[in-house]
Amino acid sequence: MPRLPPSLFWTARKQISPFAPLLLPVCRTLDSTANELRWIKEHVNSTPSPVPRKLRIWQDCLKRGERGMPLQYILGTQPFGPLEILCRPGVLIPRPETESIITHLTTLLPPTPTLKILDLCTGTGCIPLLLSSLLPPTTKAQTTGIDISPLAISLSRQNLLHNISLSHLPPSTSQQQQITFTQSDIFSPLFLPSLPYSPGELDILVSNPPYISPHGFNTTTERSVRLFEPKLALVPDAASLSWSKGYSCRPEDVFYARLLEIAGVLQPKRVLFEVGDLDQAARVAEMVVRGGGEGEGGGGGGGERELKAYAGTVEIWRDDPDVESEGEKESVWVDGGKVRVGVKGRGNGRGVYFWRKDQ
Amino acid sequence: MLAAPWVCRSCVRSLRRVGFPHQFLRRASTDSFKLPPALLDRARFLTAEHDQLTAQLADNFDEKIAKRAGEVHRIADAFKKFEHAKASLVELEGLLKSDDPEMREMAQEDLAATNEQLAESSRNLSVALTPKHPFADMPCLIEIVPGPGGTEGRFFADSVFKMYQAYCANKGFRTKVVQYLAADSTGEKGGDGEIALQEAVLEVMEEGAYAHFRGEAGMHRVQRVPATEKSGRTHTSAVAVWVLPSFSENATASDSDWDNPESDFYIDPAEVKSEKMRASGAGGQHVNKTESAIRLTHIPTGITVSMQDSRSQHTNRADAWRLLRSRIAQKRREAREDAARALRSSVLSSAQLTRGDKIRTYNYGQDRCTDHRAGLDVHNLPDVLRGGDTLGKVIDAVHGWLTEKDIQALLADEEAAAAAANTPAKGKKGK
Repeated sequence: MPRLPPSLFWTARKQISPFAPLLLPVCRTLDSTANELRWIKEHVNSTPSPVPRKLRIWQDCLKRGERGMPLQYILGTQPFGPLEILCRPGVLIPRPETESIITHLTTLLPPTPTLKILDLCTGTGCIPLLLSSLLPPTTKAQTTGIDISPLAISLSRQNLLHNISLSHLPPSTSQQQQITFTQSDIFSPLFLPSLPYSPGELDILVSNPPYISPHGFNTTTERSVRLFEPKLALVPDAASLSWSKGYSCRPEDVFYARLLEIAGVLQPKRVLFEVGDLDQAARVAEMVVRGGGEGEGGGGGGGERELKAYAGTVEIWRDDPDVESEGEKESVWVDGGKVRVGVKGRGNGRGVYFWRKDQ
Repeated sequence: MLAAPWVCRSCVRSLRRVGFPHQFLRRASTDSFKLPPALLDRARFLTAEHDQLTAQLADNFDEKIAKRAGEVHRIADAFKKFEHAKASLVELEGLLKSDDPEMREMAQEDLAATNEQLAESSRNLSVALTPKHPFADMPCLIEIVPGPGGTEGRFFADSVFKMYQAYCANKGFRTKVVQYLAADSTGEKGGDGEIALQEAVLEVMEEGAYAHFRGEAGMHRVQRVPATEKSGRTHTSAVAVWVLPSFSENATASDSDWDNPESDFYIDPAEVKSEKMRASGAGGQHVNKTESAIRLTHIPTGITVSMQDSRSQHTNRADAWRLLRSRIAQKRREAREDAARALRSSVLSSAQLTRGDKIRTYNYGQDRCTDHRAGLDVHNLPDVLRGGDTLGKVIDAVHGWLTEKDIQALLADEEAAAAAANTPAKGKKGK
C-alpha cells in the first residue's frame, strides 16, 4: 500500500475537520474520511452521554484511525439491506457481498405458501433476518440460524428483537415469520440427528462459513479484520480441532466438505454457500459435482455422497450476481476439465449455488 | 411611352405581393386522381396488410392486431373504392368504342359520373393516407396576443378571444380561461364592451381540439373604424393567435406514480446501469469496507447520479433512484417545453407580429370575413364574431386547405424519399 503524502493530511485537516487526519490512515481517501467522520459525529450526537461531545468524537476517531477498529464496532450497527444489524466485538460484521447474494437468492424463489430455511454459521443472524424481511408477506417462513458461538447466538437474538422494534420485521407474535437461533456445533456427530428436518423437507440451506486459509489470514486480510474480528468466524482452525482430520481437502475448505455432507443428508431444495474467491468457488463446485466432500470414511453424520440430485445445476455467483458481467470469465471448468460451471455477475467469486432438479 | 399610368412605389409593392394562390389548390384537387405511384404502392401494401390482419382476426382475436387493423381499415376501404372506380372507368372506355350507338350513349352518360366518383375516391384515399398530426388528439391552448399598434389591436384581441369562447360554447367544447390579462394602462372600452387585452389564453379541454384549431394559428387582421376614432377613418390592426397542444397535467399530478410509463418520472430499469463503488482486490470476510456509495447511470441520456451519504447501500440506492427520477423528469419537461416553444416560433416564423402575414381578415366596413389561405369569403361578420356557424364554415374550409397541404407535403416527402432511394443505387451501379 503506497504511503499517503503528508499534504493529504493537511488538506484533510483544512477541508474536513481537525479530526479528519486521525481517520485518514484507515480511510485513505478524503471522500471516505469525510463520510466516516460524519457518521461518527451522527452517532455521537444521537447517543446521549455525560462525556463531552468533542472528546467522544476524538476518542472514536482514535479507536478507528490509530488502532484500526472497524467502524461498525464503534457505531455498534451495520446496515444490511433494509435492516440494521447490531455488531459487537467477537461476532463477524455482516458484509455487503453477503447482502447482495442473499438478495439475489430471494429473487429466484418461486412463490410458495411455506418455506423452511436453515442458516449455518449465522453470526449476527443477518442472513435469516434479511431472508425473512425480503420474503413476500404471504409466505410463511420458518427460519433457523445455528452458530457455535454463544456470543453470536445471543447477539442474533438481540438483532431479531432490535429489528422488530424498528419495525423492519413483523412482530414475533405474527404467524408468518418464525425465526429461531440455536447454539450448536455443526461438526459434532450429534448435530445431524438433532435437526428437526426429514430428508427433502428443507427448502433453503444457506451458509457463510469461515473460509480464509491460515496463510491468507496473515497475508490477505485487512488490519481491522485481523486485529478485531473473531478468528473463529474467519479461519477454519484445522490444526486444533480433531473433527477436521477426516477431510482431505484444503484447510480453508473444511467447512464446505462438512456442509455438503449435511446437504447430502437433508437434501434441501436450494443451497447457497458464500465463498472467498473464484478459485475457492471452483473447488467447492467441484466437490458438488463429484458428489460430496472428499471425506475418507466421513467425518460425522451421513457421509454418503448423495448429491446426485444436484448434478448439473451448480453455478458460481460473483459479488453482484444480478448484473451483467463485464468481460469477466463466464464459466470455469472443474473436475479435471470435464464439467463446465457457469459464473454469473460482476466482481469476485462470491457464492456457490445449486438446487435439486427433481422439484 | 409608358403603357401604364404612374403608380406610386408602395402600391407597386403591394401589387407585387402574390399572397396565397387561391384557386390553384382547388384546381389541383380536381384531377388529382392520377395519384403518384409511390402513394399507390403504399396504399396497396397497407391494403394487403389489412386483408392479412382481418384473416388473422377471424381465427383468433388479439387486441393488438385488432387495433392495427382498425388503423389501416380506412385506407384499405378507400383504396378498394378507388380500384373499383378505376376498373369501371376502363370498362366504360371499352364500351365507348363499341359499335352499338345506344351503348355508346349510355357509356357517355355514365362516364361523367364515374369520373367524378374516381376523383372523389382518389381524394379520399390521399386524405386517408395523410399521416395524422402527432398532436392531433390533444387538447389545445389558444393564445391571443394583440399585434403592435395601439389600443385598437388590443380591443380587437378581446373580440377574437370572445369569438373563440363563444364558438367553443356553441360547439359544446369544454373550455377554461387560463389567462385573461387586461392592459392596465387604460380604463376605456371599445365597441361592444371590448376591453384592451394584453394577453389571453383559452384552454380547450376536448380531445382532438388541437387538430380542430390548428389552422387558426397566425395573424388575424381587422379593418374597421375604431370606437376611439373621432374622424371616422378605417384602421388596420392585427392580432396574433397561437395554438399550442396542451400537454396533460399528469406530470405534476402523478409525481409519485413511478411505475406508470406515461409519467415523466418513469424510468425503464433496463436503461439504468447501477454500480457499487468498490476497491479492487479481495472482498468478503477479508476486508471490512465502509464504502456504501452507489452510482446510477441512465444510459440513453447519460445522466449520472451518485449517492454516498448513508452507511446503507440500500438507502443510498433508493435516494439515488429518487434523484435520477426527478432529474430525468426535469429534462423531459424541458424538452417538452422546447418542443412547444419551437412550435410557437414556427407558427410565427418569418415575421413575428407584422400585418403582412395575415391568414384572415375581418372587414367591418364590408361585413366580410376572408380566409386568405382557403380563399373563402363569408359575409355575415356579426355571426362570425359570435362564433356561429359562419365561423364553423371558415374553420372547415381551412381544414380542407390544411389537408390538401398535408397531402402535398406527404407526396413531396415520398417523392424525395424515392429519389433518395434511387440515387445511391445508381451511384453504385456507376462504380
